[in-house]
Amino acid sequence: MSKLIKATNLKRVYGSGEVETVALKDASLEIEKGEFVSIMGPSGSGKSTLLHILGMLDRQTEGTYEFDGKTIDEYDETQLANLRNESLGFVFQTFNLLPRTTVLENVQLPLIYSDVKESEWSDMAVKAIKAVNLEHRLEHETGQLSGGERQRVAIARALVNDPDVIFADEPTGNLDTKAGIDLMSIITDLNKEGKTIVIVTHEEEIAAYSRRMIKLRDGLIEEDKKISK
Amino acid sequence: MSIKHIARTSYRALWVNKSRSFLTVLGVLIGIASIIMMMSIGKGAENLILGEIGGLGAETVVVRPGQEPTGPTDVAETLLGDSLKDRDVDLLRKKSNVPDVIEVSPFVIVPGSVSYGGDTYRPMVIGGAADFFIDSFDAYPEEGVLFDESDTRQKANVAVIGSKVKEELFGDKSPIGESIRIKNQSFKVVGSLAPRGQVAFFDIDDLVIVPHTTAMTYILGIDYYHEIILTAKSADMVEYVIEDVTRTLREAHGITDPDKDDFFAVSQQGLADQIQIIIGSLTAFLSSVVAIALVVGGVGVMNIMLVSITERTREIGLRKAVGATKKNIMNQFLFEAVLLTSIGGVIGIILGGTLAFLISLVLAQTVAPAWTFTFPISAVFLGLGVTSLVGLVFGLYPAKKAAEKDPIEALRYE
Repeated sequence: MSKLIKATNLKRVYGSGEVETVALKDASLEIEKGEFVSIMGPSGSGKSTLLHILGMLDRQTEGTYEFDGKTIDEYDETQLANLRNESLGFVFQTFNLLPRTTVLENVQLPLIYSDVKESEWSDMAVKAIKAVNLEHRLEHETGQLSGGERQRVAIARALVNDPDVIFADEPTGNLDTKAGIDLMSIITDLNKEGKTIVIVTHEEEIAAYSRRMIKLRDGLIEEDKKISK
Repeated sequence: MSIKHIARTSYRALWVNKSRSFLTVLGVLIGIASIIMMMSIGKGAENLILGEIGGLGAETVVVRPGQEPTGPTDVAETLLGDSLKDRDVDLLRKKSNVPDVIEVSPFVIVPGSVSYGGDTYRPMVIGGAADFFIDSFDAYPEEGVLFDESDTRQKANVAVIGSKVKEELFGDKSPIGESIRIKNQSFKVVGSLAPRGQVAFFDIDDLVIVPHTTAMTYILGIDYYHEIILTAKSADMVEYVIEDVTRTLREAHGITDPDKDDFFAVSQQGLADQIQIIIGSLTAFLSSVVAIALVVGGVGVMNIMLVSITERTREIGLRKAVGATKKNIMNQFLFEAVLLTSIGGVIGIILGGTLAFLISLVLAQTVAPAWTFTFPISAVFLGLGVTSLVGLVFGLYPAKKAAEKDPIEALRYE
């Protein structure tokens, strides 16, 4: 398997002088294509910061980040936006769907910022929606859906551009146990089909779905182990 | 991101907050409606007055007391001046002074009402030569005769009345030989005119003409004219006539500095130009006052756009996360602001046009029967241009603020 992510000595400092806070002290990791990685740790351990840097929503203060063989440290905001659009998918704890908008349109959202021809959008979106078993909800507005369904729409949205990796930040945090289990089985299936998944969670049961677990504490990687199944 | 999707997103965002959007754009809407209304009515007034002047004929030269008006306030001065006297009229009639003129006719305007028996009516009363007015306005007596020069010389108490005056005071009865009172003077009606309508400021039907000598001596007690009308031999000679008149009167009044002229002579074209300048500057002035409403409206738009951007912080964060660039976000909110103000502009133009139309109807029914509704197309383009510009200018800051949002903070925003 080839390396998708290679992060070396990542450090992230917020503020400066008296109010300086070190969110991430020194983290190095490599993720290969097809992996299913969970990042765990108590709050304040730097796991969200790490995810944001890997997801190109934030930049490290020190260290280098190579994505798919390219060093992206010098990319400007527009280049990063385009890279996110083409290669990354995001799932957030709070779903972040557009209100008063149909499932189909929500899933199409990344495509309107892409170079993909408009004639292909609908097919691509429907395919992604089928992957999360919501094809019967295509024209429903997101407000009419349950929490579990909404998060599945969010996964479909993350899938629609066929990304290299999906980043999920506490995806089950706002779901009940049953919906959480359903969601994790969908994510597991996606991984089985070859998608690279990086998931941040503080729940052991959720991390147990993954095949590699990285534990963070105080901005440092405390443990990085394979989970045998 | 295609314009279609920007448009759809903007439309949806505005539609979700229908009433807020409407109230926001109300300022812009009222501003544009007022400007359109002002421009339309200004143009209508201009057309009306130009039409009236056109009725005077291209050979006509008008001499008035005072300075040539360059602004609205100068007009009053010309009504009060007392510089044009009998001697001037005599000089202007001399072929050696003004060779290219056929007729020189002075007149005065008499304010007040006319009564017959118990009835009182307020027509327009002028003191002048009956035949001159009748010829100029292409009217003719229906009954009786016109008074002539000997009546004028003798300061006779005779009057010619228009058809409406006749109807108001006499009904179906013949007015010829009857006595009417103007101020404290009694006048014998010698002729009544056939209906003619409005020509060159004068509603002929609403006119009473008496000899100017009688009016000046017995009614007004003045020795000066309000206006002298000259008819040139042809329209081409109007310029020479103006030159000759100016030279003759300057000599007579002992004026060497043209800036100190106590009279001015204008052709029909000159008069039209003056009116255009006066109405144009009035319209521009009023419009610029109203333009302040647009600025206030624009600030309102900016305010609500800022509120909207704060409300939609998470949406902005999400859009950035899935690949929207700063430019995408900026364009979206800028478009939204422009769409908002443009909708206001379109409604404003329709509203302003409608109001101007209604006002035109009322004016045509009451004070100015010849008034026609005019809707300058330039006002539409101006209105749309200005509203779009307001949206652009006042939408820029909020849009920039939206584009600058940090995606992580935006996504976390509660």
